[in-house]
This record gives sequence, structure tokens and C-alpha cells, in this order.
Amino acid sequence: MTIDGRDALEALIAQAALGNQAAFSKLYDATSGKLFAVCLRVLSERAAAEDAMQETYVKIWKNADRYQVTGHSPMTWLITIARNTAIDRLRARNVDHDVADYSDRIAAPGMSPEQSAVATSEAKRIVQCLDTLDTDRRTAVSGVYLQGKSYEDLSKQFDVPLNTMRTWLRRSLLTLRECMAQ
Amino acid sequence: MSMEQTPEEHDMLAAEYAMGLLSGDELVTAKRLATTDSAFAQLVTQWEIRLASMTDTLAPEQPRAAVKAALLAQVFPAAPRQPLWQKLWLWQGLSALSVLALVVLLASGPQTQPPVSGPVYTAEIVSQAGDFRVVAVVDKTTNEVFLTRTAGAAPEGRILQVWAHGEGAPATSVGLWPQGDTIRIAMPQDIAAVEGILTLGVSEEPVGGSPTGSPTGRVFGTVDIPGVSNSI
Repeated sequence: MTIDGRDALEALIAQAALGNQAAFSKLYDATSGKLFAVCLRVLSERAAAEDAMQETYVKIWKNADRYQVTGHSPMTWLITIARNTAIDRLRARNVDHDVADYSDRIAAPGMSPEQSAVATSEAKRIVQCLDTLDTDRRTAVSGVYLQGKSYEDLSKQFDVPLNTMRTWLRRSLLTLRECMAQ
Repeated sequence: MSMEQTPEEHDMLAAEYAMGLLSGDELVTAKRLATTDSAFAQLVTQWEIRLASMTDTLAPEQPRAAVKAALLAQVFPAAPRQPLWQKLWLWQGLSALSVLALVVLLASGPQTQPPVSGPVYTAEIVSQAGDFRVVAVVDKTTNEVFLTRTAGAAPEGRILQVWAHGEGAPATSVGLWPQGDTIRIAMPQDIAAVEGILTLGVSEEPVGGSPTGSPTGRVFGTVDIPGVSNSI
């Protein structure tokens, strides 16, 4: 089992949840390259990305005991925290937009390991599925996820009314979901 | 906001919440659903998993080594740990009944008159949400740990498992806690040998215990017992 294998990462997160500092240090070594890349993609600037990544790992340490209840795979959980932390920082001046809070999320017991595996393999195809969207829609979806754009930002960017923008993005998400479920 | 949403609208709300597109009342509603409605929480997770793969094509980038040093200094402060007497304030949260149950347990074990010569340490394991509480008593005379559940339980079809480790060491299983409010477990040799800070934790696991040797289910909480000593 490699260090970045799913089981190995889960064991490290479980040990971190028990306060094991050595396990947390190993978890950092195994995953910080990816999480730094995510923060850098969102924030562009290295110093800002490093700060966001540091905050990400503080959250991971404090919430390691929450991992099992979320139904994530280890990497998607870590990436989600990194992305949300980086987006929060990008939007620091706009407090009205708050990203999904994972720390007080209720357990999702309906998600069996099998379902979770399905969701993970399904997710593998998002890049191909994004390619099936019109260029504008693809730009809009990735603008929201990786640049933290709001509906207001998008409606200005594409010069369409806010409600139209929302309908448009929701339709794109539905298309993506259907494409990924195939 | 109307609760008469179609499943599709519900899923779209989950997607927008996962992406951070909501504001105002809708954000409040989605936040509430994510903490109270497990089906909605699952939809949010599924969107997070779908969306996270947008980063699949990003190649890892090396942060400066100084970032790790700063992180470790932040999460593991070198300041002295809480002394035992402060931890004992946790006892304030206990009901008289649970203390009584513990005293009865201590008095009714096979060794009715244990020589009171080794140190005895008490601590409480409390989950962050407060929905799970266990009082632990470590008896160094017999190297046993007595546990009493005062709140919460393993989910249906699951059991509790007790873990422990010394400072910097990986957690190892102390034993299974398949049923009942109280249990007495003999500590494995390597845990009995721990000096200094002994950390105890409880997780929920499949019947038969964790298959991996590490916790696989929810870790309800841990507690550090400082100053543990084996000298009598």
C-alpha cells in the first residue's frame, strides 16, 4: 500500500483524530503537494496559497474526527477543505458569500463505501463531461469552483440577467450530473 | 422559502451550497439542512466529490518547508500541557448517578480488596458535540482501565472500541466494548508501559472491532492523561 493509497490516508486521518502528531505529519507529507496546487490555482500567488494551505491543515487537524461521517474519500475531503478555505480567503472582503461548512455537517449514514466508490469513479469523468458543455457554460462552472465567482459576477461577465444566469448554471450542473452518471 | 421542493431543486440547492453560490435566506436554509437532514448532507458531499475532480489535472506543487514548520508549531504548541487537576474539572459534568455506577463497578470487581498502592488516574472522553461521554479510570496497580458510558452509544449494529497511545506513538487497540454501560479492560503491555502522557480514545467500529488496527469509524473523542507513571 502506497502512502497516498486511500486506506493509508484513512488510517492517517483516523490516527490524527486520536491526537497522533506523527500521523498528522505523515498526512501532510503525503498530501500537501496536491493541496498546495489547489490553493495556488485559486489564489494564484504563492504566499497567499501557503497561508491558505496552512489554515487548511489546521482545520484538518481539528476536524479529523469528522472525516468518517462525511462520506468522502480522503482526497476529496482534503481537496474540498483546501478549495473552500482558499475561496473564503479570495472572497475575504465579501462576507455574504459563505462556502459550505463541513465542520458541523450531519453524518450521511446513507452513503455506503460502495456508493462512495461510485461517486468517486463518477467524479473521475467530470473533466470529460465539462468538455461536453458549451465553452461559456464550462467557463462559468469552473469560474465558480476555482475562482469563487458569484452569480452576480457571472451575470456581469456574460451580460445576462441574474435569474437567467442561475437557470443557466443549474442546467449546466444537471447536464454534468447526468453525463457523469452514464 | 418553500419546503415543497422537487428532488431536482433539492439537489441543485445542494450543488449551489457545495460551490458557495448561495447567500441570504437560501444560505441559511442550506446550512440548516446540511446539519439536520442527512439526505441533504449526502447530496452536498456527492457534489463536493464530483467537483473536487476538477482538480484532478492539477500537478502537485511543493510548498516551502517553512510552511510545515509554521503549521506544526501552530497545531502542536510547545506550551506545557494541562495538569491533571485541571482535567479533573471535567468531573463537574458528570451526573451523580454515573459516579455512583463507577464506584460500584470499582468495588464489585473480582479483586474486591485491591491493594491501593498504584496511582489511579481519572479522565473523561467527551465528543465535540457533547453527544458522547465516557469516564475513564486508569488503575496502575492492576493496569486496568475502567470505562463508564454516561452519554451516547455506538450506532445500531456497531460496537465501541477503546484506543490508547503514548506521546508520538500510534494508537493501538486497548480492547472492544461490545455492550453495556461499563467495562473493565486489562491494558495491553505496551500501553501499560506508557509513561508521561497517556491518550485514551473511543471509536465506533464494526462488530468484531476495527479490521485495520486503526479506528475506521467515528472517533468520539480522546483525552490526554498527563504525568502517568508506573512507579508504585
